[in-house]
Formats: sequence, structure tokens, C-alpha cells
Amino acid sequence: MTNGDLLVRYAESAVRGDSDLPSVRKEVELAVGTHGLIEAAATVSAFEGLNRLADATGIQLDAGLADESADFRTALGLDSYSGAASTTSQGSPGRAADVMGIFR
Amino acid sequence: MTLTNTGAAVELIDSFAVGHDKLWQGLGECGTWWSGPDRVAAIAEGRQALCCELCRTRSEVLSPMMVPGEHDSISQLSAPAIDLIHRLGTDPGRLSKSWASQIIDAMTEEAYVELVTVNCIQYVIDSFSRCLGLPLRELPQAGEGIPTRIRPDGVGDVGAWVSQSLDKSLANVSRAASLVPDTESLWRELVQMHYSRGPEFADLVWDRALSRPQVELLASTVSALNECFY
Repeated sequence: MTNGDLLVRYAESAVRGDSDLPSVRKEVELAVGTHGLIEAAATVSAFEGLNRLADATGIQLDAGLADESADFRTALGLDSYSGAASTTSQGSPGRAADVMGIFR
Repeated sequence: MTLTNTGAAVELIDSFAVGHDKLWQGLGECGTWWSGPDRVAAIAEGRQALCCELCRTRSEVLSPMMVPGEHDSISQLSAPAIDLIHRLGTDPGRLSKSWASQIIDAMTEEAYVELVTVNCIQYVIDSFSRCLGLPLRELPQAGEGIPTRIRPDGVGDVGAWVSQSLDKSLANVSRAASLVPDTESLWRELVQMHYSRGPEFADLVWDRALSRPQVELLASTVSALNECFY
């Protein structure tokens, strides 16, 4: 993915509050433009909140999301996350037909 | 501010600033379960959590409950409220149902959800500023009024730790705060502004400065770092 490694470094630095955030931010701005940097900041910050709301309310995976991730959650170590205990259905491996199908 | 001031970028960041202005002031208004001064105190406490020695120590051990102690608090909020705000801010990936049940027993599930939502909004707006090297906002003005403490109709047990809307037309994350609809509306507006943007959410190709795969890579990275299962 174009600039994938750099975007991952930006998200890591921002979430951890690392001291290299100003320099990584400059790299991102050079690579994807100021507009892209702002979009990146908007995304990182949105998921900082979405993660917290999901974890604090103990929501379960939607059925479509459980199916979508059934064949890779364990391999990626996601089932070891504390929040996994909130979901009762493991799902059956499958792919949704579209984005909204994931959240059925 | 380190951003290059191109016209399009200024326009974009101005649109975020205007949106955040409105939501920030909304956070300071009287809620359904917490007063305006309480909500402003919660925002201040949310920022304080990032400087809390107990939270820092707990983040380095296997289980946060291994380390007893008191949070470095700056507000007059109750101990359960302070614990909720600090752990939400600094260790969200290790919250547990038993811990949440204790907090809920102390304050009601509606008050729990409103406080969580207020502090999630605060976290997003503050994080956006930190991501861009911008100064944090001043605390909002505290609005007057008395919480009505009215529970909405159409909510119940859908398998989460707290009651939510029984309407499954929404994704579970989209109804997570449905127990407090007035505060939830601020939250939904914020998520629309930062990420989903209406019907565009259903499209695999986005006409933005970052492609959808790039946006989802950022989202996945943040979620992995926070150990968020959802």
C-alpha cells in the first residue's frame, strides 16, 4: 500500500505519545500532503474514541463481523484481547457481500 | 502549528475546528445524568489521567488490579467516576465486565454510559489536536440546569455490559451509547465528521486525500495498539 509503513508509524507514534511524533508528522505531510495528514489525524483520533466506547460498553461483535473475522482472529492474536470475552458467538468464516453486510 | 497552510488544508482544518467548537460546548452543557459542571470536571479529569502515576504504574504490570492505590485526581467527582475516567483514558483494552459492574452499581448504567461518552468525545478532540501538534482547547463553559435522569424507551439487554437500543438496524458500535441519546448525538456527529461521513461509509472507494485502504490501515493500527477486540 502506498505510504503504508509511514502511516503505521504515524499511528503508533500518535497513540503512544512518542517523542518522534513531530518528525513523523512532517514525513506524513511531505508524503500525502497537508490534506492527507489532516485525514490521518482525524482517523487516528476517531478510533482512539471508538475503541474506548466499544471496550467500556462491552459490545459484542455483530454477527457479520464475527463471520468476517472467524478465520483470522486467532492467528492474529485478537481472541486473546480482554474484550473478546464480551462476544459469545465465534461466527462462521465467510465474507460479506458489501461493507454494510459486515455489521448485520 | 507545523502544517503547511495551503488553501484546501486551511479550509479542511477550519471545518474541523467549527465542528469541534460546537461539540465541545455541547459537552459542557447539562446532560441527562450529569450536570454541566460535572461534565466539565470529567473532561479535566480525563486530561489529568494522562499524568496519573497510578495509571502509569498499572500500565506496566500484567494486570491493573495488581497495583492498589489512588488516582492522582484533580476533581471532586466520586471515586468510581474518577476510576472510570482514568482507566478509560489510559488502559481501555483491559477493562472487564466485573469492574464495569462495580462502577455501574455505584452510579447507574445510564450515568456510566454518559460519562464514558463525554470522555470519549473529549479524547477524540484532544487526540486530534495532539496528532497535528495543535494546542488543546480550553475547558468548555459549564452550562446550567438539572439532569432530568430520564431513561429512553426502546433500550434493553442486547448482550453488552449496558443496555442499548433494541433496534438492530445499527451496528453494535453505532448503538453503544444509545442509552443516553442527547449525548450520543454529539458522539455520532463527531464520528461522521472524522470517519464515516454518511452514505460514503458504504463505498469501498473514497474520494479523500487518503484512500479507503489507507484510512482502514490507520484505524486497524490504532485498534491493535489499544487491543480493542471489536
